[in-house]
Amino acid sequence: MKDILSLFFAYARSGLKSRFQYKVDAVVVIFAVFFREAGGIIAMYLALQKFGSINGWSIDELLFLFSLIFITYGIFIVFFMALRDFSDWIKHGDFDRVLLRPRGVLTQLVLCGADWLAAFGHGTLGLVLLIISANRVGVEWNVQTVLYYLMCVIGGVLIQGAVFLTFSSITFYVLETNSLKEIFYWNMRKFAIYPLSIYNKFIQAILIFVVPFAFVNYFPAQFFLQKPDMAAYPAWFMFITPIVGIVLYLAAYAFWRFSLRFYKSTGN
Amino acid sequence: MDRYLQFAVIRFKSKTAYRFDYFLGILNSLLSFVVYYSIYKALYGDAQSIDGVSFSMVTTSFLISLGLSSAFHKNEMFLQDKIKQGTIANELLKPVNFKLRMLFEDAGEGAFNVVFNFLPTALIAAFFASISAPSGAVNMLLCIASVILGYIVLWQISFIVQCLSFRLFSVWGLVTIKNVVINILAGAYIPMWFMPEKIRSILRFTPFESIYFMPVQLYLGQLGQWEILFGFLRQIAWIGGLYIIGELCWRSGIKRLVIQGG
Amino acid sequence: METMISVEDLSKTFKIQRRSTGFAGAVKNIFHPTYEYKKAVDGISFSIKEGEMVGFIGPNGAGKSTTVKMLSGILHPDGGSINVAGYIPHKQRKEYVANIGVVFGQKSQISWDLSPLDSYEVIKHIYRIPEKLYKDNLERYTELLDMKDFIDRPVRQLSLGQRMRADIAAALLHSPKIVFFDEPTIGIDVVGKDKIRKFIKTLNETDNITMIFTTHDMQDIEQTCQRLIIIDDGKKLYDGSLENVKTDCVSTRIIEAEVENMPSGLDIENTQITHDESTGKLTVMFDTDKISTSDVMTALMSTHSIKDISIKEPGIDSVIRDIYEGRIKVG
Repeated sequence: MKDILSLFFAYARSGLKSRFQYKVDAVVVIFAVFFREAGGIIAMYLALQKFGSINGWSIDELLFLFSLIFITYGIFIVFFMALRDFSDWIKHGDFDRVLLRPRGVLTQLVLCGADWLAAFGHGTLGLVLLIISANRVGVEWNVQTVLYYLMCVIGGVLIQGAVFLTFSSITFYVLETNSLKEIFYWNMRKFAIYPLSIYNKFIQAILIFVVPFAFVNYFPAQFFLQKPDMAAYPAWFMFITPIVGIVLYLAAYAFWRFSLRFYKSTGN
Repeated sequence: MDRYLQFAVIRFKSKTAYRFDYFLGILNSLLSFVVYYSIYKALYGDAQSIDGVSFSMVTTSFLISLGLSSAFHKNEMFLQDKIKQGTIANELLKPVNFKLRMLFEDAGEGAFNVVFNFLPTALIAAFFASISAPSGAVNMLLCIASVILGYIVLWQISFIVQCLSFRLFSVWGLVTIKNVVINILAGAYIPMWFMPEKIRSILRFTPFESIYFMPVQLYLGQLGQWEILFGFLRQIAWIGGLYIIGELCWRSGIKRLVIQGG
Repeated sequence: METMISVEDLSKTFKIQRRSTGFAGAVKNIFHPTYEYKKAVDGISFSIKEGEMVGFIGPNGAGKSTTVKMLSGILHPDGGSINVAGYIPHKQRKEYVANIGVVFGQKSQISWDLSPLDSYEVIKHIYRIPEKLYKDNLERYTELLDMKDFIDRPVRQLSLGQRMRADIAAALLHSPKIVFFDEPTIGIDVVGKDKIRKFIKTLNETDNITMIFTTHDMQDIEQTCQRLIIIDDGKKLYDGSLENVKTDCVSTRIIEAEVENMPSGLDIENTQITHDESTGKLTVMFDTDKISTSDVMTALMSTHSIKDISIKEPGIDSVIRDIYEGRIKVG
């Protein structure tokens, strides 16, 4: 464990150092990511000035819902960035180098890929939203709730990690997976930001059972907020985010182990 | 002129080469529309209209905004890439106006997006969402004219930001921030009807309102003669002002390039 | 000396999708793909002793890279066996790769925006290199590769030759027993190439490191390797010493002579004769399988008075080219 941590810090040091070679640019990029993601939220805020609430959710409750997406994504790109862009790693031959080093393949990918600037942008936005909203929506922080919140964050990171670990495994067979990612991650994420209950049944089913983003933010938020629209779903959905995360990740990991042997290093 | 149209045509053609990406593009647009559609359906609930704005006006407004954002294509890293790769000097030696060439390449891609991405998306969207019909031929023509003016405004702002690549390591961050600001203020994320009155009264003097919102209003036939005239004059004034700023930025950038070497 | 690498009947086949064009083709590619098979490596065997330095050459697509990738554990072979330093590379990857270093001329392992030193720090952690060994190696390679001036400068500011030297040091920091060099001199100027070759040779001699060297540059091989393996079409064409490739494979000889008188219509059977009027130089090319050198000499001297004469073998470059192109059969 200590060994893994020291490796993580070595990667982090060099990663940060290279991104902060151009200090002004690095800061601008962090702000840019922050604002890009905040744009939709600002629009929502302005709209709710007029409409008051959406499906019974006030703006503060929405901010709490949004915060989970951004915090989990901020952590996700610290650990799963290499898997997010895995087809590039293979195309450019960077994966060969990973295989030439005396460490676990996934260990290296998870520890080394962090996009720190984007992570700061997303993470800060998530934390700001959480701090603004948590008090106003009446979340009572105690050992139990803090612990559950943390477990949900980990679960949410693992769910998204599992999605990309699956895409990465598919990369060994088909090389190009950008279209898959576009359909099954980026588009689903567009939906997942807002309350699940505003969508039609088909989209809801996808977000619960296919790409289970609903467990990243909607159901955990319901645990804290108990909004009336939760009545449409089984109550136990509010409690299983960590389990969904671990189970999906283990399944994706098994698929990854199986697929690794099909790696064909691209020639020159 | 022919030569510049060629740049547009080449871009248009090269876009047709990737078919899978093409269908994916339609799906992406459609899903973006569904997100907004779902949000405003939930916001409206059972209400027929809010502040005199009906739900079908809102969906129409979003569909037009979607079409406009695909038409308003800009390759905003173009100048930076040319400078980074050091090919800018060669480009400047070619007997074409660099700026016009950029504009026409972008416009070609924008035209492709409208014909092959937006129109199919709009047809599919019209199946499940109620979309208002255009309010008449004259208004439709005025709508198209305002779209073209809006594009030139947007493009020039983008060009000015891109000119900063003569000085900065990377303009990606600034380009992104610029786009967020414009999208919010121009009503691409939220229909202008629902924008708080205070913000709207300031926006009246900026070029933003007429980029996304004026085409929507013209399409729906909501504007009187004087409002239309004011809108067009405002756009033309901004185009003139931005042109001067753009030229100044471009020339000082080129000068810098010549002094420091490309 | 002990055997370090032994390869037996190694083969690897790639399945390549045959792409149809057009819209119908695109649909077909997705739902009913057709494949063709290409044998990249086709039954290669060899063994390399500890401390040996072997050059791998062959035209593009010959199977060199695939062989090196199997030897280094990146690719799983389809058939045959590999044993390197007691390991089966693709089965014991993690333990095995701690013993090897790989330098790709086309793909750097040090970060563009950092100094070589920064990248070395990360490599130290990845390989768990003990502090003492790391310091000693770093000092030694800095000296030998003459890196003092640029070791703390961002890589993007370095010349290609400097970057390559920094990359070579990166692959050696953990004191590997075996090092693979994959085109390490590609694109580098003459002086830079020379520095790299000298270093590699020194290291091989002093540290007894086993080395495999793939390249297109025959000078690389001539100046560093004692042994040569030629691969083409996935098969081994030649395996032996550098000198022997000439005497074993080639029976072409060239006699150049300066003559005083030049009778017209000179013709010796089984030779090709050219004559340069302005210099008076006579060139006779022949095949020793068909006519012996002494026969040609005798024929020449009986008709000419000769001022100067020399016998030449073709250069290594042209020999190799002839082997690739099938003009010379070896076996």
